[in-house]
Amino acid sequence: MTEYWPWWAGAAGLALTTINYAVTTDRSFGVSGAWDRVLHWRAERRVERVNAQFADERVLTEALVAATADQFGAGSAAPALHLDTRTPGQDARPPAAASSSLARLLPAPLVSQVALLLAVFVGGWVAAVTTGRFQLRLDMGDAFGQIVTDKPIAMIGTLFVGGVLVGFGTRLAGGCSSGHGLNGCGRLQPVSIVATAVFFGTGVLVSFLLWKVI
Amino acid sequence: MRTRGGIIVANIIAGLALGYTVANIGFGDYAELNRMFTFQDLRMLLAFAGAVAIIVVVFAVLRVRRTPGRIHAGVIPGAVLFGTGWAISGGCPAIPIVQVASGYLPALVTIAGIVVGIRLCRWANARYFHLDSGSCER
Repeated sequence: MTEYWPWWAGAAGLALTTINYAVTTDRSFGVSGAWDRVLHWRAERRVERVNAQFADERVLTEALVAATADQFGAGSAAPALHLDTRTPGQDARPPAAASSSLARLLPAPLVSQVALLLAVFVGGWVAAVTTGRFQLRLDMGDAFGQIVTDKPIAMIGTLFVGGVLVGFGTRLAGGCSSGHGLNGCGRLQPVSIVATAVFFGTGVLVSFLLWKVI
Repeated sequence: MRTRGGIIVANIIAGLALGYTVANIGFGDYAELNRMFTFQDLRMLLAFAGAVAIIVVVFAVLRVRRTPGRIHAGVIPGAVLFGTGWAISGGCPAIPIVQVASGYLPALVTIAGIVVGIRLCRWANARYFHLDSGSCER
């Protein structure tokens, strides 16, 4: 079994992962967001279909005009048509730029979020096997037994409650250690700095309680 | 890489790299995590903080755009719940996946908890909180 990476290798690995994603996609990734969208795949598929339908601004305008005509009669649709009267300056805008800025506002495709979660599994598995750390086991390690609980039923209960808190908390806060911690803090977003400080501070407090008190 | 296929490939690369790195740093190991949170060992803390420092500098040089997101009423309570859950279960949303991949089968229970928590949050938000939680991932 090999040692864990030194801090600088870990820092380089996490930074490279985040920077590569941002540079190649002009986006930010987050594991809790991926979970959220994959778990609500029905609703997300609906959103994707609607977005695809209205990807073209003109299609949206026409659909609005048609819907207005359906609702209020053909005559009332006329005011909506002014959306289409463009000044020559607006027409000069290259369509490619318009579509790429629109694509940037859309969330990453749902299938890419499934791929992210599966890839985390494969990456973790490769690391475990290549370092000789892979071992099928029914406990969470000696430290968990000493610090939290060594009784199987209590362990299951703690892991489940902890998982619910992680799932609920990350979505309420809008991100986790990858979305807020790496991508958000890296962009110096105030919301991410606040969230990271609070979840890390709480982690410290609770860990001290578990270690020293309970 | 900004097409649909490009984004899928980028997510596969990010997931592989994240899983591999997180496992090799030792985030999946509860002993290491508790030692990080209680400052007995600064290695993992420095790995995370060092990564953020590198990213801040590189993003500033490359002028990487900010993503949408503002401070709303759910940020602080959500982060408190998340920090508590992370400290007691040893899992942030990616870590239990890495733990299962390393052979820790009970981490499947953590994943089940995360699934319930995430579904509960979207349901509760739609019904009670009505927060535009402006997810940070875009």
